[in-house]
Amino acid sequence: MKGGRARIAALAEKDARELIRNPGAILPPLAMVLGSLVPAFLVAIGAPMIAGRTLEESGDFVDASAQAIAMLPELAGLAGNALVQAFLFHQFALLLLLVPVVAATSLATHAVIGEKQAKALEPILATPISTIELLIAKTLTPFVFALALTWVAVGLYITGILALAEPGVWRAVLGPRMLILFGILGPLVELATLQVSVIVSSRAHDPRSAQQLTSLIILPITAVFVAQLMGAFVIGTPALFLGAAGLLLVNTLLLWIGVRVFQRETILTRWR
Amino acid sequence: MAADLLVADHLTRTFGDRVAVRDLSLSVATGEIVALLGPNGAGKTTTMRMLAGLILPTAGRVTIDRVDVSAANASAARHAVGLLTEAPGLWERLSVRLNLLTYARLHGVADPAGAVATVLDQVQLADRAEDLAGKLSKGLKQRVALARAILHRPPVVLLDEPTSGLDPASARHVRDLIRAMKDDGRAVLVSTHNLAEAEELADRIAVLKTELLAFDAPATLRSRGVGVSVTIEFEDGSKQAIEVPDLSRVADVVRDLVHAGKRIVRVVPDRRSLEDVYLSLVGADQ
Repeated sequence: MKGGRARIAALAEKDARELIRNPGAILPPLAMVLGSLVPAFLVAIGAPMIAGRTLEESGDFVDASAQAIAMLPELAGLAGNALVQAFLFHQFALLLLLVPVVAATSLATHAVIGEKQAKALEPILATPISTIELLIAKTLTPFVFALALTWVAVGLYITGILALAEPGVWRAVLGPRMLILFGILGPLVELATLQVSVIVSSRAHDPRSAQQLTSLIILPITAVFVAQLMGAFVIGTPALFLGAAGLLLVNTLLLWIGVRVFQRETILTRWR
Repeated sequence: MAADLLVADHLTRTFGDRVAVRDLSLSVATGEIVALLGPNGAGKTTTMRMLAGLILPTAGRVTIDRVDVSAANASAARHAVGLLTEAPGLWERLSVRLNLLTYARLHGVADPAGAVATVLDQVQLADRAEDLAGKLSKGLKQRVALARAILHRPPVVLLDEPTSGLDPASARHVRDLIRAMKDDGRAVLVSTHNLAEAEELADRIAVLKTELLAFDAPATLRSRGVGVSVTIEFEDGSKQAIEVPDLSRVADVVRDLVHAGKRIVRVVPDRRSLEDVYLSLVGADQ
């Protein structure tokens, strides 16, 4: 097992060194961090500033904010413009879930397809590494990178709120809901994306086509985000736990498929 | 008699209904180079992969250093083998040293940095250690790949098309490295399409076309049972090429010609090339 850990570490470190030298893999996740942060601040801070009226004064989202208190107890201590801002920052936080999705997709497809394109898989498989070690190594670096990037995005989000929003809003946003969203749900979404990326990458010829297929994962997250923003529902803590349980099942299924795809003979004879 | 380090015993490998390799038996001894010849699709790569412990045979067995390779010990078997794949398969964004260091760690080498320094000296690439692999010429990449195959000091080395696509100078350098492996006491199996190279390097040659068609020393192979060709030169300057089943029949042919009134000056046995033998074995259409 010690040898197995050393082999996983060797390959994961190699992947990390390659990824940081690969702008094609790194830039999309960085762009996504920016893309997921801007809309919230534009709607909650920028637009009212340009219009010269607070969100409370314009009446936008006021009713929805008041109704959301039942689902988001963190909002209970707030009122007026601070309540609306906190409500919006909670709703837009879901957009940050796209960071692990995009990061995992970009990094994992490059990590796997990069080996295929370099024709490096056969030499790797000719070493004592087992296929499960190879699967772990190939997902470990993208997982760590994507998770770190997600938490950096969350950190920037909270820092931005602290700097730009009404006093006390950041405390209402940085509550249990955010912890569940990015401490449990985010890593599970990321893991599912990684596994789908690896499975898709086994059949794809270039990172872009693999990313196009994997990016379908963005659709349900975007749909939920748009629906909640339009007032269809507010996702509270119980719903997040339910989502996490569902993702756990999805990840188990994907792991089962991934282990089958990552068979030495399958990689050598069927991966193209 | 040197010990056989690598033994293939009645290996068969099928993929679905297709038989890639059938009933293949061969061996490579300590300090021996065996060349594996065969047309495209003959099963050479499948054979290499079975011998390297990458895929298991459908039937038969592989023995490396007297240990049977099975699913349970394939990992240890792969450590005992150095495989040069057809493409170098280097990580082009990383330096030569980092490429090799990663493989040293994957093989669990005790002193990865020391092993890399040693092997870089062996392939005369110490001065290119910090170069990005992607910046190297094809010949240098092949030398790095060779270094990767032997850096964990495996007793068995399998080389798939080691000089394919290389310029003559690079190809010669690679052949010198292969000879050095033999001198180090390794068992070396080289898959190649280059018959001259096989003849130059190999102690024995195996000809494969799904089945093993021949396995012998190059000289023995050249003279093997597809007849003997001689050229008879006559006093009037004319020549006649004659094929007979074996050398003992040449005397009969000469006697018949003399009885027929021909005046013979010389009888010259033709040296059959390995190419003639190879083509007669695998079929001229190949």
